[in-house]
Amino acid sequence: MRIERRLRQPRWLIVAVPAGSLVFAFFAAGLVLYATGHNALSSYRQIVDAAFLNSGAIGQTLTQATPLAFTGLAAAAAFRMRLFNIGAEGQLFMGAITADAAGLYLGGHGWPTALVIFAMVIAGCAGGAAWALIPGALRAFFKTNEIITSLMLNYVAAYVLTYLVFNTESYWRQTKGFNASVFPTSKTLPNDALWPSAMIHARGGIALPLGAGIAVLVAFLLWFLFTRTRFGFEAQVLGDSPRAAQYAGMRTRRKILAVMGISGAVAGLGGASQVGDFAHMLDADPNGLQKQYYGYTGIVVAALARYNPLAVVVVAFLIGALQNAGNTLQGADFPSGLVGVMQGIILFSALGGELLVRYRVRVGRTMPATEAA
Amino acid sequence: MTVQSEKDRRGADGAPPPPAVEMRGIVKRFPGVLANDRVDFEAAAGEVHALLGENGAGKSTLSNILTGLYRPDAGEIFIDGEPVQFHSPRDALDARIFMVHQHFRLVEPFTVAENVVLGDHRGEGRTFRLRHRAIEQRVAELSKRYGLAVDPRARVWQLSLGEQQRVEILKALYREARILILDEPTAVLTPQEADVLFETLREMAAEGRTVVFISHKLHEVKAVADRVTVLRGGRSVATVSAADATLRSLASLMVGRELDSGQPARARTPGEPVLELTDVWSDADRGDSAVRGASLVVRGGEIVAVAGVAGNGQRELAETVAGMRRATRGKILVCGKAIRAGDPRSAIAAGVAYVPEDRLGTGVAPSLSIASNLALKGYRERSSSHGPLLRIGRIREHAVELIQRYSIAAPGPGAPARLLSGGNLQKVVLAREFSGKPRLLIAASPTRGLDVGAIETVHAYLREAAADGVGVLLISEDLDEILLLADRVAVMYEGAIVGETSREEADVEEIGLLMAGGQDPRAD
Amino acid sequence: MRKRKHALAALVVAIAATGVVLAAGVGAGSAKSNSAFKVAWIYVGPHNDGGWSQAHDAGRLYVQKMLGSKVQTTYKENIAVGAQLQQTVASLVNQGYKMIFGTSYGYFSKAFAAKYPSVLFEQATGTDVAKNLSEYFGAAEDSVFLSGMAAGAASKTGDIGYVVAFPIPEVIRHANAFTLGAQVTHPGAKVHLVWTNNWFDPAKEKKAAQSLVAAGADVLGQNVDSPATGQFAESKGIPWVGYDSDSSKFAPKSWQTASVYNWGPYYLSRVKAAMNGTWKSGFYYGSMKSGFTGIAAFGPSVSAATKAKIAAKMKAIENGSFYEFTGPLYDQSGKLRVKSGVRMQVLKGGTNSLYGMSWLVKGVVGSPKG
Repeated sequence: MRIERRLRQPRWLIVAVPAGSLVFAFFAAGLVLYATGHNALSSYRQIVDAAFLNSGAIGQTLTQATPLAFTGLAAAAAFRMRLFNIGAEGQLFMGAITADAAGLYLGGHGWPTALVIFAMVIAGCAGGAAWALIPGALRAFFKTNEIITSLMLNYVAAYVLTYLVFNTESYWRQTKGFNASVFPTSKTLPNDALWPSAMIHARGGIALPLGAGIAVLVAFLLWFLFTRTRFGFEAQVLGDSPRAAQYAGMRTRRKILAVMGISGAVAGLGGASQVGDFAHMLDADPNGLQKQYYGYTGIVVAALARYNPLAVVVVAFLIGALQNAGNTLQGADFPSGLVGVMQGIILFSALGGELLVRYRVRVGRTMPATEAA
Repeated sequence: MTVQSEKDRRGADGAPPPPAVEMRGIVKRFPGVLANDRVDFEAAAGEVHALLGENGAGKSTLSNILTGLYRPDAGEIFIDGEPVQFHSPRDALDARIFMVHQHFRLVEPFTVAENVVLGDHRGEGRTFRLRHRAIEQRVAELSKRYGLAVDPRARVWQLSLGEQQRVEILKALYREARILILDEPTAVLTPQEADVLFETLREMAAEGRTVVFISHKLHEVKAVADRVTVLRGGRSVATVSAADATLRSLASLMVGRELDSGQPARARTPGEPVLELTDVWSDADRGDSAVRGASLVVRGGEIVAVAGVAGNGQRELAETVAGMRRATRGKILVCGKAIRAGDPRSAIAAGVAYVPEDRLGTGVAPSLSIASNLALKGYRERSSSHGPLLRIGRIREHAVELIQRYSIAAPGPGAPARLLSGGNLQKVVLAREFSGKPRLLIAASPTRGLDVGAIETVHAYLREAAADGVGVLLISEDLDEILLLADRVAVMYEGAIVGETSREEADVEEIGLLMAGGQDPRAD
Repeated sequence: MRKRKHALAALVVAIAATGVVLAAGVGAGSAKSNSAFKVAWIYVGPHNDGGWSQAHDAGRLYVQKMLGSKVQTTYKENIAVGAQLQQTVASLVNQGYKMIFGTSYGYFSKAFAAKYPSVLFEQATGTDVAKNLSEYFGAAEDSVFLSGMAAGAASKTGDIGYVVAFPIPEVIRHANAFTLGAQVTHPGAKVHLVWTNNWFDPAKEKKAAQSLVAAGADVLGQNVDSPATGQFAESKGIPWVGYDSDSSKFAPKSWQTASVYNWGPYYLSRVKAAMNGTWKSGFYYGSMKSGFTGIAAFGPSVSAATKAKIAAKMKAIENGSFYEFTGPLYDQSGKLRVKSGVRMQVLKGGTNSLYGMSWLVKGVVGSPKG
């Protein structure tokens, strides 16, 4: 038995495999649920309710999906060029730090909210991009493996984040008031630095955060950049064959720097959205933002979306729904470990299904037919 | 040492001993290629036997069959007169046949002694706990006895290539190899190191082993071998005694096919120089300089061929002119203007088109569409982009047009390039390079691996380009092709142009001699 | 590109279809109407962490046991502050939970409570009080002081290691109480701090314990949530003083004692009040005397003399004749911080406030800034 690459992907497979892997996931998870004495159907029902149907469920799903969309887009942008930026996590933290600083600095002085928000967006992009350019420059100039450097910088960024609020009286830390002396907290953003959300009056009100809109916009921009511009063309060639890119006279180093910068900027934008849309302060608690692992989940999102920016948005929404449902499901009668197992089975099936679309399993020793023209 | 003595090998009845190795009627086919076509080969115990031939003549295939890496489609192998069948390299090792490959099979972080014992499934290599001291001592003994100076406790990554080669030979000696095959062993050696190696090989042969020495350098073959078997085009053409052969006779055996004159090139009137190289040097991928002081002129409308055996700096020369490799010394002028060293974009802008030897990977980006690959260089032009934006529609139209004009057999402009056959891939490259309206076209082994029909098409396009006034620099190892196309032939050896002649005056034997370093002062 | 869209469309359709099928299939069965009062607990770590969260979960089970079918309780574990907490609370409210205990600082703010006016929130260790938000905690400094006495008695060299979470007043006050207690049974004892910047992180806690022992500590104590320190102490044969829960089973030989909380009775009274409508928000600070805090059963290596000394101090604290945070108290630099005879207060601001304590007493080795 061996696995080989499909030269062509039959059309029916593209429909059948995702559906099939989902059905498989539900059966496999159902067996686990049955074995642990839970009713599979009512558990699934709860998942669907919590993710989509309950009052406010969509809003909660969006809260989870928005940062995943940003980190997923960040990963997709870099991975498309085979630049394995694992650092969206740290770049998101950095973007949160810089965007929060911009919001605190500019807010509350009577400036128009739009201007303050714009500044926060720019600051978030700059913070994330700067953090991503460290591994980018190391890769471009010294051929250092960006996987390792970007991963390590995640830990550095997490420590910086905690340090700013828990271990020093920095600009971000709330130092006034009795509450601030009891437990370290960040300064809350002034009202004119809070990002607005659009309300849809259905199902108990669905709040569309501004960040979700920005994420969709960024997805379109990235899609356009990668498919319709010279820059995207060069990035594509470079991703497929660096030698061919050199041969065609493309500037390799600049492209590595630019793509890492874009990837980091998008992740940093996710950090800005965290601050502006949801937390309204710098969430430095090691049990807070740092425990969400948005940066790492974003890689899964990007892989499931096959690095297509438009698909990233959809996948982020679905994964966000899954995570949101997980919070609802767990409790006294449903261990959180079991939730993790179910989420794992679903993701594993989806990724495994992807493999079946691209590869086929061949049994026996027959030679592959040459499909080449 | 348990090498059989001369007496043992002689049969009881005193008949002459069977050859140590005999291969009869070996046939090996690969998709589209007949690599070995009824090859006969035999080598006796106690001799150094050279296997001489051009690249692609079938030397490597033959040695891979002898070492059990490939199984022949037809033919028989006898070791000491006994028929054998090798199902795996392990069987060959059991028959004490050992090969030193061009690319060494060594584990870099391990010590010399550990590498020597690695994979040995007898004796020390088999025990779970290695007795380092004993192995090191044994390796030190061997290296002293055969003049293979290397420290058994050194780590392989610390060693020079020459020293690594000695480790490979030590591996063979440690396993008491009776038949040792060396694939172009001097490629990584300095002349002094090569002389030492030759002594070692002679000594091993004197002990009754068989040494098979694969090479395409004539003076080496003559210096070390007792007999020479010449392969050409997958067939064994002759086995001669090295002492009786001359460099010239060997060269003619190696390259001297009946020349098919085909359509001789029409006399063209060369125009202005489009490429002037003066004392150009550039580095190899690893280590030393590959191009060492090459000087050459190509004029518009003429085809200048650079002949040479692979590995003499031709590929690097092509890359240097195309800007993909930085020239460390010398001057490169394209249409009278200097191009920026190591900047392909500057070369492209100056009108240099380049058909690289490595089609899939350099010439095209394999996963990208045919349309994208056809636009690989032209995407910056106004016809394909509008400021930073691509004109997707125009790129596609252009691709459809080129696919039609060059009759590229493709499912469509959107299909990934890797689905194309070699000939169609080369058409994609040529179509793109010609559409850039070049002044100079560098074609590196443009027909390698193509079938007859595709070869003719490529030849026709090259002639057409020259007729349009483009200067063509053709790099090829195929003398037939060169004599068919070129107006002038330059021969490259060890990084320099060692001779130049017009097609009319070209003498195959002369060229073969130059290619094989026959004019090398060391040769005679 | 088009193919990918198809794939996604298929995925969406499949999920939607499954959702509809499941909704239809189970719709009838799940309409089990329940009149029980629904109460939820939110934990920062796992409910069986062997420390802080486990103590709270014991309290939840106590409530469930005492009120039986009249209440329905659940918990959410490993909940991060921020987005995850917001989702968790939203889904709890959605499921009809009327009362939510958050057992970590930073979960609920006044603004957050105001979003759900019909839900009663209670938060441990915090200070924000609103119409539907109460705060509660225990005077663990007293019991930590007693556990510090056990640590001091167990130490030969007088160098005690203390694994601490965040450099915040709650932890600083406990570290101080622990040190003052150790100095009673081992005059001149020094307590060395290593911060982990996390409440529950067994790996980091173990590393901290390792570094403390490497630096010469011969007894370990902690103000973090997992028993990792104790497990390490057990492996080294070093006495260990725990925190939050009786964790003797993780280190039966090393175990000395621990300051523990008994949240159950408080939870029971609050849930009862909520059920009969007498619930009022406020700030509750449970004491040893009321049984809210106390010390766990002693381990086998604690001497009878030590037990007697601790029992005597406990009695003195309970009857008010002794209070560990009474001046004179000196800080690390030897500066007098609390004048002779002055008692520190719990909530009042300034240097005399336990809830704002940002300085370490003499004998603590480490920085109050982490």
